Amino acid sequence: MSSALLTLADSRLPAGGHAHSGGVEQAIAAGSVTDPRSLSTFLLRRLQTAGAVAAGLAAAACAGADLVALDAEADARTPSPALRAASRQQGRGLVRVGRRAWPSPGWDALPAAPHHPVALGVAAAAGGLSPRDAAAAAAYLSISGPATAAQRLLAMDPLTVAAVTARLSPEVDAVAERSASRATNSPAELPADTDPLLDLLAEVHAARNDRFFAS
Amino acid sequence: MITRVEVVARRGPGGRTVLPVVRASGQLAVRRTGPTSVHLVATAFGPLGGDDAEIRLVVEEGARLSVHSVAAAVALPARQDDAPSVQRVHATVAGELVLAPEPTVVAARAHHRAELTAELADRATLHATEQVLLGRAGEEPGRWTGTTRVERAGRPLLHTTVSLGPGAPGWLPPVAPRAYAATVSLGVRLPVATGQDAVRLPLDDGWSATAWGTELHRVVRELAALGGADEEVA
Repeated sequence: MSSALLTLADSRLPAGGHAHSGGVEQAIAAGSVTDPRSLSTFLLRRLQTAGAVAAGLAAAACAGADLVALDAEADARTPSPALRAASRQQGRGLVRVGRRAWPSPGWDALPAAPHHPVALGVAAAAGGLSPRDAAAAAAYLSISGPATAAQRLLAMDPLTVAAVTARLSPEVDAVAERSASRATNSPAELPADTDPLLDLLAEVHAARNDRFFAS
Repeated sequence: MITRVEVVARRGPGGRTVLPVVRASGQLAVRRTGPTSVHLVATAFGPLGGDDAEIRLVVEEGARLSVHSVAAAVALPARQDDAPSVQRVHATVAGELVLAPEPTVVAARAHHRAELTAELADRATLHATEQVLLGRAGEEPGRWTGTTRVERAGRPLLHTTVSLGPGAPGWLPPVAPRAYAATVSLGVRLPVATGQDAVRLPLDDGWSATAWGTELHRVVRELAALGGADEEVA
């Protein structure tokens, strides 16, 4: 365990993740997330789809795969324009802070405004972390930000939300392990698990003008 | 059982499409049913768990092909183990391809994996639909995993895996749909559209639409209501 991993997964890293709810804001509006139990289920759903995809991309980027090709694979796995914009926005934010935190020539190989998981993989490599670490950070971030968003939107007890997130740790590890194990193959073989419900929530959310979060 | 199907569509004299290669072995036979269409005919029960079907389609420049099936396929569980049945469709398209098979019904305890890989040349078009129902009337739902990968000139445009049924992440509350329908279409770009339980997303030069719910006929109607999915595919 390296402290670089803790920094990378820390919600206080100013990469802009705090502006995104990962679909939670719309799930709350739709009445699907109302309490700790429904939040936990939503997070698990997100972890095993978007989280698995992000973990695979991050691990492959960390392992040195072609970053432009990976960015195209991320696009193909993110057909929702709202989710694409959210991912690229956070990718750009991470590049900005990552370049300062972990200077490395790796940053220059990234396309402009890369997908967040691809930038995350570069940050992990620049910080001396392994592809498995990059996958863990991506999997964890796929639920930690949304959990915090739910806490703020529903005025939930922070202790309860922390417990919900912590109890998903075995699933986070399993997703990271599975996705990282597929990151050594060709980029086309990376996980592509998708949840059409998250796409729908993201697009309905993007069309609202009364939202607190960017996604 | 191993099933292999291969169809090549070529632009023939006067621009008519000819099919120089039509091969089938295993559970499927191919019947030419129109100037540019073929139907896949099941010659055996199934697929059963452990069955492996591969359908290779080549549509050359200037040719058109539409592929249908004559009846719903009912995926049944393996007798001994829990091996999934697998169907891989691999399409290489420089002309126009329509894939519009009848629904796949996944019986209780069965797991069916459907894969579509389409490699499109620059001006090729594709219109592929998929309809899935988990469980026959009055029985528990089976599991279905569908992967779609579309590339244009070597660049990935869409790559998604949807898993449905007990144990799948997309089957956790609040939505556990028994019926699912999806269309991917390359050729004309359409913008985002949303429905109650349906969403259409734009692709570089096409779109991808998905709908889900309890009854397949309603899901198919909701998918069509998004627009773009109502082209004549016969």
